[in-house]
Amino acid sequence: MESVAVYSDADATARHVLMADQARRIGPAPAAESYLNIPALIAAASAAGADAVHPGYGFLSERAEFARACEQAGLTFIGPPADVIERMGSKIAARALMVGAGVPVVPGATPSDQSDDGVVDAARTIGYPVLVKASAGGGGKGMRVVRDEAGSREAIGAARREALAAFGDGTLYLERLIERPRHVEVQVFADGAGRVAHLFERECSVQRRHQKIIEESPAPGLPPAVRQRMCEAAVAAARAAGYRNAGTIEFLVESAGGGAQFYFLEMNTRLQVEHAVTEAVTGTDLVRAQLDVAAGKPLPWSEGTLVQRGHAIECRVYAEDPAAGFLPQAGRLLLYREPGGPGVRVDSGVVEGDDIGVHYDPLLAKLIVHAETRDHARARAVAALRSFPVLGIRTNVPFLIAVLEHEAFAAGKVHTGFIERHLEELLHVPAAPAEALAAAAAITNASRMTGRDAGRPDPWEQLGGWGR
Amino acid sequence: MADSTLILRGQDGVEHDIAIGADGSVSVAGRTITVRALRAGELRAGDAVVWAAADDRTRWVFFNGQVYVFAVERPGARPRRGSGHAGSLAAPMPATVVKTLVSPGDRVRAGDVLVLLEAMKMELPVRAAADGVVQAVRCRAGELVQPGQDLIEMAAEGA
Repeated sequence: MESVAVYSDADATARHVLMADQARRIGPAPAAESYLNIPALIAAASAAGADAVHPGYGFLSERAEFARACEQAGLTFIGPPADVIERMGSKIAARALMVGAGVPVVPGATPSDQSDDGVVDAARTIGYPVLVKASAGGGGKGMRVVRDEAGSREAIGAARREALAAFGDGTLYLERLIERPRHVEVQVFADGAGRVAHLFERECSVQRRHQKIIEESPAPGLPPAVRQRMCEAAVAAARAAGYRNAGTIEFLVESAGGGAQFYFLEMNTRLQVEHAVTEAVTGTDLVRAQLDVAAGKPLPWSEGTLVQRGHAIECRVYAEDPAAGFLPQAGRLLLYREPGGPGVRVDSGVVEGDDIGVHYDPLLAKLIVHAETRDHARARAVAALRSFPVLGIRTNVPFLIAVLEHEAFAAGKVHTGFIERHLEELLHVPAAPAEALAAAAAITNASRMTGRDAGRPDPWEQLGGWGR
Repeated sequence: MADSTLILRGQDGVEHDIAIGADGSVSVAGRTITVRALRAGELRAGDAVVWAAADDRTRWVFFNGQVYVFAVERPGARPRRGSGHAGSLAAPMPATVVKTLVSPGDRVRAGDVLVLLEAMKMELPVRAAADGVVQAVRCRAGELVQPGQDLIEMAAEGA
């Protein structure tokens, strides 16, 4: 199978473009004019003679309009049918469907009056603290916590603007905030003949700015009976949705008490960023399965044949400064070296010398490790991150190590407020050791000592990928 | 014998005097450490493997899972002034101005949002650090701003 990549002007020499068999330009750097531009994408796919379109996991991957445009252009959309995306993308419709299917849901509402006054009234009815979200959204965009009436108007305005900018739809949804919940999701897969299977759960509680940074499978300390009920609920949810292809049912799990009550949060009608965690523990290739199902083939596995083997952890490496409120960073990757070895997988979109811009999400790479037990996986992830130098731009690599080594994380005591609660300890940076200072002082001299670059005043010119 | 000397200032503000020998030895804090290049950017400093990179006046080091960033100071040079003068609010990173929420003469309170920026699809509110009066608005909606660029000029209340 040949692949055709699409790119904006900002990504003309990006890694995905270099790896693909063909690449087509779809517009200038701003996403609205390129990666969110449906006519440009359809035109590129048609011109390339493509049979099918994989929407990835950002941008238009959950836009029914795009799935529909693909079908109308005679392209197979690798994902669920457009009407299913539409239904599950609407928090109201999805919720109603789940209630009907007997899946537990969190108390909440979409105000019929979407004015500031209407939304404030609805928040008061549900009771503070309230989570304000984009009805069309995901990924933490357009999401705000409102703790009292005083802060509500500013938060509502900001949530609406972010929702509009990210999804082109400013409709807001409110729900009761469950404090210190765990975020556990179940991978589901369905084929065209109505077969539905789950591929167990992923624990995704370690988040900042409502975005996940560490995911793992199995979820630590989840009672087997709860896991089973959640997986069964996820299959029932996918069935009720008339689902096809890969999807994820997200649940909030109350960590308080031994009951571990869970609630349906939302369905992601696409492949997830963290799908590799599931691939590692189940020994599957979810993207290939997506292609198979889209081609009309049956699911390559049935539920009885799948097991969770060992433990997998994914760490998302972001260009961001955790010490500055996880502020996204832009700049050049002066040095970028990926780790390797047994049980270590790196999925990335950058190479050394790349300029990281402000146009897109600052995710640089995903490190996925697999080992026999959670402790072994944790140790393997730490070792890999210690061999993952990224310089020239701040990243969260040191922060990820601090999370993995934190005693509460080691004990499996995770919840969505984990980072906020332990932030000070996690941000601790030891004083610069003499070796670090010596290397910092020697770096220009030291490179000359290799002798390979004699006569070059700037040793960095020898690094690849800078010729533009 | 020292070939050259260097002052590196860490993010914590601490300055380190370093002497570099022609033989690849580096003297720092009373220790002499031999530094050898293994590959471009990958060094052995003493017994440790360290990655390092340089960029204008900044040195970056990855050691033991930590990143250290140092500013290169000329011997005797004074620390550089922070971006923007006192009483101004600067952009924290490259971003697009979504909108400005104040005008010259407006009285604002600490924590008020003065400018909304957007970068990587996230809104970043720029808030007043203290109570004061807006002197000038130095950006407009739609503008792409750079880190350190002044956005709002402020004067303390009653000044």
